[in-house]
Amino acid sequence: MRISKAVITAAGPGQRNLPLQSLVDQDGVEKSVLRILLEEVLRGGVEEIAIVVAPGDEAAYTRVAGDHAARIRFLLQEEPRGYGHAVWCARDFVGADPFLHLVSDHLAVSRVAKSCAEQLVEVAASEECAVSAVQTTRESLIGAYGVVGGRRLPGRQGLYRVDKVIEKPTPTEAEQQLHVPGLRTGHYLAFFGMHVLTPLVMEQLGRAVETADGSSVSLSGALDELARREQYLAFEVAGWRYDVGARYGLLTAQMALALAGRDRDEVLARLLELLASRELGRQGHV
Amino acid sequence: MSRLVSIITAAEAELRNRSLEGFCRSASLEELLTECEALERFRRSSESLYERVRALFFLYAIHRFHLPEKPGLRSRALIPFSGYSHLLKRRFEEAIELFLAEQKAAGPSDAISSALAAAYRGLGFQTLADQVRRSVRSVRGNQWMFRIGHPADHPLQIHPLLKARSDGLFPVLQEATPVRMDLSHSGWSDIFFLGMDFPEGARVLNASIDLSVRSGSCSPPPRPPVEAYLRLIEQPVLRLVSVDLGAMAEISSLAEVFDFARDYLGLLKAGVIAAGVVPPGLEGAGQPLAELLARLTGQSGWGIEIVSKVNDIPKGSRLAVSTSLLACLISLLMRATGQTRRLTGPLEEDERRLVAARAILGEWLGGSGGGWQDSGGIWPGIKLIQGVLACAGDIEYGVSRGCLLPCHRVFDRQEVGEETRRNLERSLVLVHGGMAQDVGPVLEMVTEKYLLRAEAEWRARQAAIAIFDEIVAALRAGDIRRIGALTHRNFSEPIQTIIPWAGNYYTDALIRQVGESFGERFWGFWMLGGMAGGGMGFLFDPEVKPEAQERLQEIMSRTKRRLEAAVPFAMEPVVYEFAINERGTWAELRRGGEALMPPGYYALMVPRLLRVEPRHLAPSQVGELSRLGAACRTAPAYSGLVESLFERLLPQTQDAEARDRRSLEALLSEYGFDRVLHRQIQADLRSGRIGLAQNRLPVSSRIEDVEPGEVIDATRVLDGSYERLGLEALAEGALAVVSLAGGVGSRWTHGAGVVKALNPFCRLGGRHRSFIEVHLAKSRRTGRRSGTPLAHVLTTSYLTHEPIAAFLEAEDRYGYEGPLYLSPGRIVGLRLVPMTRDLRFAWEEMPQQMLDEQAQKVRDSLRAALIDWARRMGEGSDYTDNAPLQCLHPVGHWYEVPNLLRNGVLLQLLAARPNLKYLLVHNIDTLGADADPALLGLHIARGGALTAEVIPRRIEDRGGGLARVNGRLRLVEGLALPREEIEFRLSYYNSSTTWITIDRLLELFGLTRSDLGDQEKVAEAVRTVAARMPTYITLKDVKKRWGKGHEDVYPVCQFEKLWGDITALPELDARFVVVSRLRGQQLKEPAQLDGWFRDGSAAYVESLCDWE
Repeated sequence: MRISKAVITAAGPGQRNLPLQSLVDQDGVEKSVLRILLEEVLRGGVEEIAIVVAPGDEAAYTRVAGDHAARIRFLLQEEPRGYGHAVWCARDFVGADPFLHLVSDHLAVSRVAKSCAEQLVEVAASEECAVSAVQTTRESLIGAYGVVGGRRLPGRQGLYRVDKVIEKPTPTEAEQQLHVPGLRTGHYLAFFGMHVLTPLVMEQLGRAVETADGSSVSLSGALDELARREQYLAFEVAGWRYDVGARYGLLTAQMALALAGRDRDEVLARLLELLASRELGRQGHV
Repeated sequence: MSRLVSIITAAEAELRNRSLEGFCRSASLEELLTECEALERFRRSSESLYERVRALFFLYAIHRFHLPEKPGLRSRALIPFSGYSHLLKRRFEEAIELFLAEQKAAGPSDAISSALAAAYRGLGFQTLADQVRRSVRSVRGNQWMFRIGHPADHPLQIHPLLKARSDGLFPVLQEATPVRMDLSHSGWSDIFFLGMDFPEGARVLNASIDLSVRSGSCSPPPRPPVEAYLRLIEQPVLRLVSVDLGAMAEISSLAEVFDFARDYLGLLKAGVIAAGVVPPGLEGAGQPLAELLARLTGQSGWGIEIVSKVNDIPKGSRLAVSTSLLACLISLLMRATGQTRRLTGPLEEDERRLVAARAILGEWLGGSGGGWQDSGGIWPGIKLIQGVLACAGDIEYGVSRGCLLPCHRVFDRQEVGEETRRNLERSLVLVHGGMAQDVGPVLEMVTEKYLLRAEAEWRARQAAIAIFDEIVAALRAGDIRRIGALTHRNFSEPIQTIIPWAGNYYTDALIRQVGESFGERFWGFWMLGGMAGGGMGFLFDPEVKPEAQERLQEIMSRTKRRLEAAVPFAMEPVVYEFAINERGTWAELRRGGEALMPPGYYALMVPRLLRVEPRHLAPSQVGELSRLGAACRTAPAYSGLVESLFERLLPQTQDAEARDRRSLEALLSEYGFDRVLHRQIQADLRSGRIGLAQNRLPVSSRIEDVEPGEVIDATRVLDGSYERLGLEALAEGALAVVSLAGGVGSRWTHGAGVVKALNPFCRLGGRHRSFIEVHLAKSRRTGRRSGTPLAHVLTTSYLTHEPIAAFLEAEDRYGYEGPLYLSPGRIVGLRLVPMTRDLRFAWEEMPQQMLDEQAQKVRDSLRAALIDWARRMGEGSDYTDNAPLQCLHPVGHWYEVPNLLRNGVLLQLLAARPNLKYLLVHNIDTLGADADPALLGLHIARGGALTAEVIPRRIEDRGGGLARVNGRLRLVEGLALPREEIEFRLSYYNSSTTWITIDRLLELFGLTRSDLGDQEKVAEAVRTVAARMPTYITLKDVKKRWGKGHEDVYPVCQFEKLWGDITALPELDARFVVVSRLRGQQLKEPAQLDGWFRDGSAAYVESLCDWE
């Protein structure tokens, strides 16, 4: 299975401005969030990229995309009908091919030399099926994510067969339906915001859009159906995800990038200095 | 609404239990296809697990058995390789979608139906297995074990009494458990798949028994057959010891605990996990085992030693010895970690149920699985175990009709009196017949037939249920004689109606002889477990029991000797002494001077200690050795230990090995071993010039499917002139049939080394018949039809010649009236230890059928161990580590036809039958191949040197086929295809049946009839042609037997030349004819038998035979 297409969704009402923000990346270069996402995608070996945006956002995105602007194809989500609907807007672009999908309000920072997208694409290509990146998440936090239930693939580190997907489950739902043997008590596998999906997802989304009668459509519902129809795996990528849309999310993402990059020592020194001068100073120690 | 969907969803039992075949018999092709569409929609939308599963089995059966019978279904079609690939990876849903899309695009066909049948069946069993797995995890008491993902979360602690040392030694906790004996044979109703859908019909009478193997007049008294021991040790490891298997491992990592097939300790590891000592949730956790052990024992640097022991009971006893040992280990470990109320004595009822649930979990972890009655030995005495209807509050409620766990009701003395129990002991003779069998396929067949409600089988199940009630009543009434009559009837009627393969020729022979010997005093036969031939029971008048025990031993040993070339035996048959165990599983704590492991443990472990410098021994080890010394002097149980120690320290096996080596040398020189050729092959194999990957034709080869006009279609009625021509030739004596019986049939018995040709595989024409008998019966019929008895040749090899000759003599040539010749093989090979490169190629690069999750894990672990074995034995070295005959191999069926030239059989045939012009050569397992006059006439009329028969391919037909290779139409072996997917572009499969014109064949060898007397010329001619034939390197399974009925299977390497490659020679005028599947299919594995019997193939073969 070769993955040459990527779809980034950026049309959500609270999401539209996030990719336009600037951060200093691991190499110490100032870039927009969008550009960091595009570079992540390109490192995964993708050749064609579509961004699903709200009407009128194309120009701003083109501006911050830097050298990669020419590669982008904008697809419009005319009205905000949910995450699943936004992905479905890329159906013609995707056609009969598998594709990498990222959300625009999360940044991924890898713990290893390969980027998170590279790791994910590699697994999907060798397993020849849909794979979602997941992260072990405490039960107090799962209400913010899509969560999968399933079981570990024997002899495979960090790879799970998905049986069930629920969007923002309650702890009760999670306990009953999403338990994954081998995870610590009260821990579940939540989406990382990065997936390799097969065209069957578009088929499922199409059905959901038809029956939703104008209301919002989720991606998790389609992924739950996918798990019944095809082999669908979850993969614990060696990395962290940062929700740039959360309160102080951008700051946290920036710190994570800096601490994983070239300027780690400098940033640590500045943090220490800040602590020393402000916190300790306030207490009269400095 | 679809009629089949309405059967599945019916609320009334009468409609719900209606059979599929009743509907299919009268339905047209179109009606069946419409029903398939409805079932497909239904199974996707239904929320009920069992409705989905039943729909899947209906779909499977329609595609496997009913659609192929309907006129109008296309036979020639291609199966998409991508679908097959999904099937191998167990991605059944995706495979089904692809096959259905192909069916829609190209129209329904026999080929696609075969693929859909395989996918639906696989998905059906997968769905059931997933459900059982979910239930096992969800059983109360098991759930927490799946949530523990870190040693820091581990809630268990070793019982304080086990930490209290006396004289520096830890106490030893011992558990002894009886095994279970099924008193009724329950029609396999305790299989989970069946019990969870039909709890009302899932009932078992189950007795806990002690055993000993009878040996002459001073047999040891029966005792609990399985024991387990536990103590703490001052080493941060998990030490596992199996006394009976002679295996020991010191485990220091969590990963190794989950590696089941690495050594012989898989069952102990499953026990450790299922008891929660290393909970299943910890699989994949990266922490050191020492951390967990420190938490469990409360002391850093301490570990646990667990010892298991089976008291001389051979494998395959059908008494659930393995499950009983697993339950024994789980009970021991639960006691030791405070999960039971009492450390010693019996268990409470709720604890027994938990042990039973965890034994099911342990079996699932180990990739095996019996029924739910198998851990019955932990309960005392005789009990009724029955399925339980799931109710609100049960985890199974709304998912399946029944619960995972049954309920156990132990009979008290009011219900089954003391006298009845003693009478049962005085009447029953328990034996192990010695046969080695795989029960797995039987359990799948039972499930399948139940779900389909096949008419005869469903009626038989009702009959078995009625017999069960009668057995319970007879037990309550204390009428043992009546029980014998009932179990006998149960075996001979309903059980063998449900599964004809539950019985066999050997068992029938035993029952007949016992009946003849004891007449009225033989009260009945009693099948134990999944099938007969291993553990069995015979009920006698108590007065003759001692005599019956002796006679049965004689009868079994004698019958085994007569049949051992034809039937796979794992061991010498044994008779047991047995007693009902009235206390169930039981534990004791050995402290102080008693705190010793069993004697067999020391026989295994002391030699290791003696190799250590005394000053390096820990004080506790010195203390233990000193106590052992005292025990050897004073305790009777340890009195023979010193002798055993000497035997182990100074093994006597060297003499035996030298003897085996000499006999191997003798066999090699006797059977025509070519040492020079062997060394050449060995050198080529080691250097990588030959190997599995090198079997293949160059990637640049042009391999295309045959065009419609290039083969003759004989599946339709042929012109009457061909039949007349053939009959004339038969009347003149122009044809001889050659059945290739030199091969050992590795797949038939998984490398057991018996002669497949002699295996009495199926009841045909009223009794069990061997392959040879079937072939001769067909020739008899043809000979009678033409008026001239047909000449028949059986080719043989080093392994098959003597047994076949002896059998033919003993059976008076099965009454065959025509000329019958044996054509002995002239060449033999010596097997080699495989190259790890070839093992990896076969297991990692070739497409493989993946197994269900846990079984696949066990297989992966086993394969890693086998690769390590090949490395240790020396890759490419001579394979001599087995019985001599198991080290040799036949060199492929290419040589079997030239052997006729070399060994003088063709010369004899021509002398006896001067009109002989043609040969019909076929494999021993092509049961439908006969000397059909029309096909013979066709061969004669078309004038080719050779006519090869091919059949339209189905998904199970793997191994090459008919192809145009670089422009020439020929048969091509699967081994030679450069890529797997090419096979799926070939419409026809090679049936391995060929018609040969003798003079044209001789011409190919540069010979004439008059040259056949010139041995040297013939040998040179054969050598010259052989040199032009490709040599394939293949891997075969070979069994190595050891201990008490244990068998290990090793992959070994050998070389072969194959007959179909003769069609590649450009000077040979080869023609190809398409024949029906019934004629051309081959029986390669016993698991095919049931389908073969049900799809009309067996009836077709019977129609070709004259038995008398």
